[in-house]
Amino acid sequence: MMNKVKNILWPLLFGIAFLALWQMGYVHKVLDLKPFQLPVPLEIVQTLHANLPKAIKDCGVTLSGAFIGMMIGSAIGFMIAVIATIFPKWGYGGLIIITAFNAMPIVALSPIMNLYFSTGMAQKIGVVTIVCMAAMAMNAYSGLNTLKPYSMDLMHSVAAERWVIFKKLRLPNCMPNVFTAFKINVAASIIAAIISEYFATSTAGLGFGIKDNLRKAEMAMGWSYIVVASLAGVLIYIVILLLERNVIKWHASQR
Amino acid sequence: MSETQIQVKDVSMVYTNNAGEKINALDSVSLDIKEGEFISLLGPSGCGKTTLLRIIADLLQPTDGEIIIDGQSPRDIRIKQEYGIVFQQPVLYDWRTVRRNICLPMEIMGVPKKERTSRIDEKLDLVGLKDFGKKYPFELSGGMQQRVGIARALALNPKYLLMDEPFSALDEFTREKLNEDLLEIWGKTKSTVIFVTHNIPESVFLSDRVIVLTPHPGKLAAVVDIDLPRPRRNELRDSPEFFEYVAKIRKCFQEVKM
Repeated sequence: MMNKVKNILWPLLFGIAFLALWQMGYVHKVLDLKPFQLPVPLEIVQTLHANLPKAIKDCGVTLSGAFIGMMIGSAIGFMIAVIATIFPKWGYGGLIIITAFNAMPIVALSPIMNLYFSTGMAQKIGVVTIVCMAAMAMNAYSGLNTLKPYSMDLMHSVAAERWVIFKKLRLPNCMPNVFTAFKINVAASIIAAIISEYFATSTAGLGFGIKDNLRKAEMAMGWSYIVVASLAGVLIYIVILLLERNVIKWHASQR
Repeated sequence: MSETQIQVKDVSMVYTNNAGEKINALDSVSLDIKEGEFISLLGPSGCGKTTLLRIIADLLQPTDGEIIIDGQSPRDIRIKQEYGIVFQQPVLYDWRTVRRNICLPMEIMGVPKKERTSRIDEKLDLVGLKDFGKKYPFELSGGMQQRVGIARALALNPKYLLMDEPFSALDEFTREKLNEDLLEIWGKTKSTVIFVTHNIPESVFLSDRVIVLTPHPGKLAAVVDIDLPRPRRNELRDSPEFFEYVAKIRKCFQEVKM
């Protein structure tokens, strides 16, 4: 219990100290920045407070795109992992191609998606989908195939069919890896959604807000969007953690 | 008790290792096992005892020779789900509680739900884990986990019980207790048991016959009938007859150059 308190207290104190130093101008001194280049925390909070409804609306646009894209991308990635497991010979090659997709920069991907989709939302979902496929495919494949010694023999000894082996052994065995992929994809999907909005035709979303305000030198407004984006990322991450704790409470990572 | 049930005919197994050398794990082993018999495959590591067990279980195909069980192939027996196997490791699925681990093969075999529950209760009691049914494997010690693995195999009431060094990871006290328990259980079920071990006293205590295997290549060196009265209790381990058998088997290994 004491340790738990300590685990929360130290990062919290550090965060508060950092914000205080930033507010008092020390961060600017160290990094040689002027307040109009990097606004101080209080100014950001005030701006955010004044523009809260718009910020939340933009945040909703970005997050819903990120979330839908992450779900579609993760689902496709998982399907690829399943196919690679069922057909090991070509499946493995398929996985390598997926990793190549992962190396594609979002900056290059966004204009291509603009050609395919006319709305900003669809374009965003398209970008996020591609970004999220690889992490899920690689992790899920590893979970579906890295089985403990003899666990397959146990199945064979009672003549279990392939589908039963998949359902009762491979699938539960890969859940920890699926959650790892989700945790990677939460961060990746929000970043991908924001960056894709830089290139989109639409005028909504956190990415557009950050770009537009920084361009107009509305630094405090731009930064308040960044705050919202970070908070949203942390929030979704926590939801995934809670879900993980419930679904794989048997796993070493949860003890 | 006298009918030959499992015939092992000239079974050989040759592996090729990474360096491309051929390794003779089993060299033309022949053996007849009677119905309801308790036999041990005894030998040091590398003698092919586990290999032979896996071939009988149809988890491995021999490079030569064949095995006939009640006129059928090991594959037929496996498809008919008549094997119960206890592995060297507990092989518990981490995401299932103790009860649900024992339940797993029965689910696959389509044992009715009521029947499953009563068999789980019975076997948990038998291996002394009555209060641990709802625990997850990680909450159990290694010895307890292995006992769950044994309960899982026993719950199938298998016609053929194959055990691959099931007690080798346990301490001497637990091992001796479980030896006694195993005999008691076997007395009730009358399965045919093939028990792999490298422990001479254990093989003498448990078996009707001890099959002595020697390594490089894995060969059948001797078959020793153990004519000790049943039911056997742990006191038997202190009797002169018991020591005689242990000494006799130890001699088998000394005679063969290893």
